[in-house]
Amino acid sequence: MIVGIPKGLLYYKYYPFFMTFFKELGLEVVISPDTNKGILDEGVKYCVDDACLPLKIFHGHVAVLKDKCDIILIPRIMQVRNREYICPKFCGLPEMIQNSIPQMPRIIDKPIYAGTRKKLYSWAKDIGRLITKDKSKIKRAFNFALIEQDKYKPGYNDNNQGLTVALVGHPYNIFDKYINKNIVQKLNKLGVGVITEEFIEETLIDEEVKGLYKRPFWTFARNSYGFAANVYREKRVNGIIYISSFACGIDSVVIELIKERIGNFPFMTLKIDEHTGEAGLDTRVEAFVDMLGRGVI
Amino acid sequence: MYYLGVDVGSVSTNLVLLDKNNSVVEKIYIRTKGSPIKAVQEGFKILRDKYDNIKVYGAGATGSGRHIAATLIGADAVKNEITSHAVAALEIDREVKTIIEIGGQDSKIIILRNGVVSDFAMNTVCAAGTGSFLDRQAERLDIPIEEFGDYALNSNIAVRIAGRCAVFAESDMIHKQQLGYNKADIIKGLCDALVRNYLNNVGKGKEILPKVFFQGGVAANKGIKTAFERALGFEVIVPKDYNVMGAIGAAILGREIAEKEGKTNFKGLDLASSIFESNSFECTDCSNRCEVVKLHENNRSIGCFGDRCGKWSNRVKAI
Ligand code: SF4
Ligand code: SF4
Repeated sequence: MIVGIPKGLLYYKYYPFFMTFFKELGLEVVISPDTNKGILDEGVKYCVDDACLPLKIFHGHVAVLKDKCDIILIPRIMQVRNREYICPKFCGLPEMIQNSIPQMPRIIDKPIYAGTRKKLYSWAKDIGRLITKDKSKIKRAFNFALIEQDKYKPGYNDNNQGLTVALVGHPYNIFDKYINKNIVQKLNKLGVGVITEEFIEETLIDEEVKGLYKRPFWTFARNSYGFAANVYREKRVNGIIYISSFACGIDSVVIELIKERIGNFPFMTLKIDEHTGEAGLDTRVEAFVDMLGRGVI
Repeated sequence: MYYLGVDVGSVSTNLVLLDKNNSVVEKIYIRTKGSPIKAVQEGFKILRDKYDNIKVYGAGATGSGRHIAATLIGADAVKNEITSHAVAALEIDREVKTIIEIGGQDSKIIILRNGVVSDFAMNTVCAAGTGSFLDRQAERLDIPIEEFGDYALNSNIAVRIAGRCAVFAESDMIHKQQLGYNKADIIKGLCDALVRNYLNNVGKGKEILPKVFFQGGVAANKGIKTAFERALGFEVIVPKDYNVMGAIGAAILGREIAEKEGKTNFKGLDLASSIFESNSFECTDCSNRCEVVKLHENNRSIGCFGDRCGKWSNRVKAI
């Protein structure tokens, strides 16, 4: 049996877990290619119009993958941390896909609660049972998968250049180079290093979040806000760039919270959708860097 | 000693020639009409005919077509529009704290503190308030665009127009016309609406302090200028060369780099008679499938644009 994993949304954060888990169960795993124009076009074609760009792109990945596998993972990720949730769009993702893309293969859509190891294991048991009756094999696959996931350290931590910026945003906006138009490379070329939330310890992020009048409901919000507030307070960077999805509700709240926290500290939002032109984005990035370098040459 | 600045935007291409005091000797405005190469060459022809034997000691390019323009002319500096506009304004007055820039198709705000850019925002999505939109409304009301702003000054009562979006603004204007309001009051209402729209979008959350410079083509419109003054409660200054400030900034930056390097890359005004050709091809080396444009000058390739990875644009530069 071949299982397909679309390279979209939280793939960038959690692919070692899913890939290892299915491989250890003896399945062949296929992954869609890096996002490209063809995938975006497919996504725009199938996905409802008012969705955010990452969702459209996810649809595109599913569309190019669906005929290459017998079963496809549409991760209905509900939770990756206790008492916090992921964007509501993730909860309905399998339904969105099934209603929009015709002739889908079988899908894995069981809700994933990854707040604790135990909860995640209950997902693994149920999915494993579809594939094998051997309980110990499932358990072993699950353990291996967690080990691989632990080893995986995505993110950027480069403060060896003249200037450093914090790149804030949802993981897919940071790691999908097609979405962000290779912003890390662009910044590097301009002599700017990039750091991302993965390199600020959880406890420090928690510390910052305590200052909010209410505990954030969404994990993305917690991470983005906590990260931005920390790099600002500890002066780890010269400026902050927030990559935001057009039409994302979480972003619109978090951006305001961050702005309130950091006052006049250099901050720029790059709102991205399928119409975002590369030239306009370049202009903004260059002007921001000029500004940080106290830029009037 | 002269310095040249070129600002290639989607609507217009502006060229300026500065003397050694950075004063404008010549400014040229050409419609880009989708062909930046032709527009730049046209500008060069005018310059060459008028200033046959001058020597240009430094050149800069800015605007959305800055990369192509830079390759074309051999620019010493290639800078984004924000920095260029800021440099030009600061050259006139170090005390400027805010720049409002409204051009043909986009608008920006630049916040300066102590002679340094401290914040900015751009709007390239909404057409309301940009030059193209005003052109269209002037045409619809059958008023020459040059007189459009003066109409607003003749009105004492502004009609309230919905300015949040170009489409709504237009249909609201039509509606008000049908109700019998006079043109002057409607135009004044429109100016107020566009200024409101600008302040609530581009200017959102920005601390607009005087001195404020109003730059870009739309600054010619007195109706908009006074609407800004009404909304802000203080004077808004329109600099003399308001419509070519980007090009001026580029020229100054080009001069600075050329002086630092002790030489200029500028290829000369004779460029006007070069034959430029561009062809495009789809790169199939990876799944991005970029549409790459290759530029030839007199059959020699001088640059490539449009590749996301830089493999084409870097290659030719090395030659
Ligand atoms: S969090 Fe925002 S960007 Fe991510 S899927 Fe939800 S709406 Fe889209
Ligand atoms: S130009 Fe570069 S990014 Fe574009 S298709 Fe070719 S190899 Fe890919």
